[in-house]
Amino acid sequence: MAEAVTKKAPSNKATVTLTIDGRSVTVDKGTTVLEAARSLGIHVPTFCWHPKLKSVGSCRMCYVEIEKMPKLQVSCATEAMDGMVVATDSDLVKQGRRAVIEFILMNHPLDCPTCDQGGECQLQDLTFAHAIDDSRFAFQKERFVEDGSVSTFDDVQIGPEIMLNRNRCIQCYKCVRANKEAFGEFDLGAFERGNITEINAAPGRQVDNPFSGNLAEICPVGALTGMDWRYKIRVWLTKTVSSICPFTASGVNTLMYMDETKNRIYRTTSRRNDEIDDGWLSNVSRYAYQVVHADDRLLTPFIRRDGKQVEATWDEALDLIAKRLSDIQDQKGCVCIGGLVSPRLDNATLYGFNKLMRHVIGTNNVDYRTEYRMLPQTPEDHYQAACSQPIRISDVDDSDVIVVFGSDMLKEHPNLYLRIRKAFNFGAARIFILNPYSTKASDVAELEMVYHAGMDEVALGAVCLTAVEKGIVSSDETDRLREAIAFDSASAAALACGLEPDHLELMARAMAEARKVTFLAGEIISRSREREPIAAAICNLNRLFSINTKGQFGILPGHSNSRGAHHLGLAPDPPASIKAKLRSLWGQYPDTETNTTDSMMVQMRKEEIDGLIIMGANPVMLYPDRAFARESLEKLDFLVVSDLFETETTELADVVLPLSSWAEYTGDYVNLEGRVQTASKAIHPIGDSRPGYAIVEAIADRLENTLYTAEDYRRDEIDTMLEVDTACPVPNLYVPSKGGQDEDDAEYPIALMIGDDPHHRGHYTEKSASLTSHVGEAYLELSPDLAAGHEIKEGDSVRIESPVGKVVLPARISEHIRNDIVFVPRNFPSAPVTSLLMRKRRIDRVRISKVVR
Amino acid sequence: MSFYSPVRTNASEVAESDRLHLLKYAEDPNQCSIDTYVQRGGYGAWRKALTSMKPEEVITAIKDSGLRGRGGAGFPTGMKWGFVPKDSPKPRYLICNADESEPGTCKDRVIMERDPHAMIEGMAIAAYAIGSHLMFVYIRGEFAHCADQVEKAMNEAYAQGQLGKNIHGSGYDLDMIVHTGGGAYICGEETALLNSLEGLRGMSRIRPPFPAVAGLYGCPTIVNNVESLASVPHIINRGADWYRSLGTEKSAGSKLFSLSGHIKQPGNYEVELGFSLKTLIYDPKYGGGILDDKKLKGVIPGGASTPLLTPDMIEVGLDYESLPEKGSMLGSGAVIVFHEETCIVWVIQRLIHFFRHESCGKCTPCHEGTAWLEKLINRVESGKGEEGDIEKIDDICSNILGRTVCPLGDAAVMPIQSAIELYRDEWEHHIRHGKCLVKSQFGLK
Amino acid sequence: MNVVLRAIGNVFWSMPKGLAVTFKHLFKKPVTLDYPHQKKPMSPRYRGLHYLERYDDGSERCVCCGLCAAACPADCIYMEPEENEKGERRARIYEINMLRCIFCGYCEEACPEEAIFLGREYEFSDYDRDSFIYTKVQMLVTSPRKDNPFKWIIRKVRRVYGVPEPSL
Repeated sequence: MAEAVTKKAPSNKATVTLTIDGRSVTVDKGTTVLEAARSLGIHVPTFCWHPKLKSVGSCRMCYVEIEKMPKLQVSCATEAMDGMVVATDSDLVKQGRRAVIEFILMNHPLDCPTCDQGGECQLQDLTFAHAIDDSRFAFQKERFVEDGSVSTFDDVQIGPEIMLNRNRCIQCYKCVRANKEAFGEFDLGAFERGNITEINAAPGRQVDNPFSGNLAEICPVGALTGMDWRYKIRVWLTKTVSSICPFTASGVNTLMYMDETKNRIYRTTSRRNDEIDDGWLSNVSRYAYQVVHADDRLLTPFIRRDGKQVEATWDEALDLIAKRLSDIQDQKGCVCIGGLVSPRLDNATLYGFNKLMRHVIGTNNVDYRTEYRMLPQTPEDHYQAACSQPIRISDVDDSDVIVVFGSDMLKEHPNLYLRIRKAFNFGAARIFILNPYSTKASDVAELEMVYHAGMDEVALGAVCLTAVEKGIVSSDETDRLREAIAFDSASAAALACGLEPDHLELMARAMAEARKVTFLAGEIISRSREREPIAAAICNLNRLFSINTKGQFGILPGHSNSRGAHHLGLAPDPPASIKAKLRSLWGQYPDTETNTTDSMMVQMRKEEIDGLIIMGANPVMLYPDRAFARESLEKLDFLVVSDLFETETTELADVVLPLSSWAEYTGDYVNLEGRVQTASKAIHPIGDSRPGYAIVEAIADRLENTLYTAEDYRRDEIDTMLEVDTACPVPNLYVPSKGGQDEDDAEYPIALMIGDDPHHRGHYTEKSASLTSHVGEAYLELSPDLAAGHEIKEGDSVRIESPVGKVVLPARISEHIRNDIVFVPRNFPSAPVTSLLMRKRRIDRVRISKVVR
Repeated sequence: MSFYSPVRTNASEVAESDRLHLLKYAEDPNQCSIDTYVQRGGYGAWRKALTSMKPEEVITAIKDSGLRGRGGAGFPTGMKWGFVPKDSPKPRYLICNADESEPGTCKDRVIMERDPHAMIEGMAIAAYAIGSHLMFVYIRGEFAHCADQVEKAMNEAYAQGQLGKNIHGSGYDLDMIVHTGGGAYICGEETALLNSLEGLRGMSRIRPPFPAVAGLYGCPTIVNNVESLASVPHIINRGADWYRSLGTEKSAGSKLFSLSGHIKQPGNYEVELGFSLKTLIYDPKYGGGILDDKKLKGVIPGGASTPLLTPDMIEVGLDYESLPEKGSMLGSGAVIVFHEETCIVWVIQRLIHFFRHESCGKCTPCHEGTAWLEKLINRVESGKGEEGDIEKIDDICSNILGRTVCPLGDAAVMPIQSAIELYRDEWEHHIRHGKCLVKSQFGLK
Repeated sequence: MNVVLRAIGNVFWSMPKGLAVTFKHLFKKPVTLDYPHQKKPMSPRYRGLHYLERYDDGSERCVCCGLCAAACPADCIYMEPEENEKGERRARIYEINMLRCIFCGYCEEACPEEAIFLGREYEFSDYDRDSFIYTKVQMLVTSPRKDNPFKWIIRKVRRVYGVPEPSL
């Protein structure tokens, strides 16, 4: 384990003791009889009960008999009481359950042969379990017929990935409840009443929310089924492999259903982990498996010959790499080689890459953050400290106050977004959001404060100043704090960033009074040029409110293995403790100049770096200055790129190596909590592709310097690196937190925010057909007022111009966004939004105009 | 008055009586105006409670009076008010349940039409007793005219300072909202009513938590029937002991009974609890006997959801204790009378159609079971029944009874079970001979 | 001595005895068939080559539910479903490896759609093993079979509610 994920303190709640089927059990007060029975391993059948939703007791399947109660009781809604004597298996209970199944089967079409749920249907299982082989119902069944239905079986497609068959529905309302309670979405509802109750999409809407895939998963029968699983394979022919999602930093646990003979993954479902995901998957996690089977996967290595990339064998490619790298080393020295790696790759690949670059080649030109502005600047102590704070996802649940700062939770950490909703719906959390633009979580927020883009640290400073001025917290270092914030008064600071002083006071008071605070910052901070001053402001805030002693705070990493990459020393200049470990493992550590992604690119332009190895990353598309990145890479003598697909970066490469995806080999990933999780190998590598660690080890072998002398050493070395005793200490001093600002440019008045669409993450997901069926192209999100000012209507083509580039995108008008800001997703290669960005700017500014045809 | 429905009442008798009170001015259209109402001593109880009584004293008075919920369940009203947690920081709400949709029941409608201020006064006193500053009236969607009447009365009360801020200088604020439902029977069930009021689907909630602890928007809420609330001012005015002296020992007070069916004088009659059902049906002051002087066949004593009574069982007092002894319930007090030419299977068919249509779709036994029952009973009624259908119907009923969240499931099957038990020969005749026993007896078509 | 004589006697006597049997059969009806020209009628319960039945309206009965493959003890059935133009489920690939098949009839038993039957056909031979993998096209009858031994029991129309469900 990286950082010891501390166990939750045992709850000192009152307990009750009851007897279930003659066995005594002690449970927390407030537990239902059903949960108490399940804790004993007694299976009480249910349809409508879900562990993460409120009980409604509508299916009546979980009947139990309780002494001194004349009627059968539904165990899912009966609280366990002291001295209760419960029978879950008496004749009366069995009779009651049989009756319920008889009622349910009454109008159930029994079209199991054509139903995709067949084989994993709870109704099938329970019908068998209760040995119901005939029906006393001798009338025509109710049937929902709809003109224009997708099929003669009355299937209706209610969303891009959801197929509805209302005849099969047993009215457990689990889908509607999950949609409302857990996801906060209202695109699915129940209509009519009685035995003709139907579940359907809200009028005029599609069920296309970012969590819609869960609805098909939790449906106990085949009423809601997933389009990606429709008529593909029977569930009993598949094998399940436990995996994790490589697109979320929280490392959502998944289960992959695969067919061994066809070497194919058919779907992904959740593998409930209460500590991480609560059993909910975002659509990105659910449909990411389709990336593995995309048609345009790279299947063989390519070598550039006479300006054209031609297919080659692994031997040819590796030999060429070894030869060219040694040539560069011999001619210009090892500092002329660099390496960029994606933090989505597993530990073995990342560590191997690090060892290849630093130990075998001997250069310090290594970086894993290829999507951030990595300008060379002062050491990022505060940023590193804030990034490596211990965070527990499940601690969000019982926090009193949750502050989200500079993070679009839904788009960056969908599972934390659901946790926050849960803390609001099921706990008593007060939620405050501080963001440069309004986000989806705002409906659960007590207060959403939207500050001017680029004023992140000022907004936090204003919170601190307000707390000090109003006497909400007392500190004997107030002067130092004032000095650090560089604003005279709270109201001046609030005004500067466009916030209401009253709101700040409310938030400061809530944070000061709270028993447990969770403060989460996200990608908007990490992507900022001024992330160090902002991190300093976060540390100042933490010190003032002592958040880390009564809760948790931190900047959340952006990718599934960002934290692992940090621990394995992939940063250009890793912390001293990591360096020391690496030195002791390798016996040496290069003392050459350290270069970040940006400074490497600068050196490439100066032809000081001639050779570059890129694994899994796509800097041309995602580095926040496309022209700069492209020109830099074009200057290289020799570029090796290993990726799943042909990308903007592989086009420039001299050698392209096909990389295996996460599903094709077993790999470990460190999630944002520091928890090490394993994604098992589901299928054999597609085509001739190879896992990342095998590629780096093969290159090292060709360079005549084997990385590991034995198979075990790899694991041992990685385990050593991941043994992190304590988190990076928080700098315990108020430090100046004022970041630099850009000069104003009247020609480009609108701030541009780049991020992920809720249905996409980074640069692979557009290969998943199910995800592109939700959102398939880039768009420009802008406010109604801004749109009206430019006479733009929904769907109009809009030209977005910055000093360096121009992109035309369709408009999407959103109530959520402010007038001086626009949002563009970065996930679509067809819309090269990074070409609008300039690497040296803090906030990119653009102007928009309607394209007149 | 256009708001009036021509329902017969025993207002003249009530006016003479010292004991009956609810329908005293029911035949006087001026009663709807606040001036007349106040002139006749109206809002006196409200002023008295507000100025000279503590909320606890009001609750005690209601508890002592023995007033029980008039909506059907008969839960002691004062005890219900006492359940509201005293120390809860949340706001409390009072809701008047005017979603009267039980077939045969029209007692609340008479109060809302003809004496809306009595209801508002009762609500105000109740709200004061539980410490609520906002009260709702949830009126059935079809009662648009009642909603208008109540809203008019509410505006008058606001204008006169009976509602609003700092009422009668006591510093007590009270606001009232009139809400009309969509017309679903289930929304008369208190938790479904709360859901409907919150804007959710009208589906009952699981209890516990009870509404008195966590009701509307999760806050302590008391839901009371119109008639219960309309009785409250009289109790406050004339004292708990006076009210207790009415009716029987365990069922105190008077109650409205809606008499309908094959009866000479259908209407709303106020009688003391414990009053004989037989007198109510046959006395010229009330029902006046069976239509066309035919023989009585059966009575539904408390609205469509209560078991039937046969003619030999009608020597019974109408109260919360005597009727259960005969296997039925007081319910909402809707007495439906059938004469000898009525086919019981047909009656049940009508009832089950109603309950099937009104099932909310939450509990499996109810929404599927009532649909199945309707199909089976339709089949039996139309003479296509098969041997064993009666047993099947009875078995399905027992699979629904007591197995649903709210009482709708019970309400749907209890009359069926009693009809099978009491009139089995008719059911069997339908099945054996494929036609109706009653029709063949009386030569009807 | 007697023994010897008797043995010799037997030798001479048994020859005409045996021949008598032989000649007797010249006048009896033969038990064998003149196979390629004559064919033996099979019992209605004979389990021979599979065929896939159709509904009376001509549509395929098989919905590719996979139960036959699940029931098959020899694991000789392979199928892949697809969606037809009406949005219904049907088999894109349906193959039986007749060399593996043990003609037990479990597939017939398992079929919930009354789609697969074992016919009375037993003549199937070929020159290579590949041709023993029978595809859907080879097994699907062109029109509902008149001589289906289960004709009296199987449903005439598709189970899409059109008619009241038989009370099972």
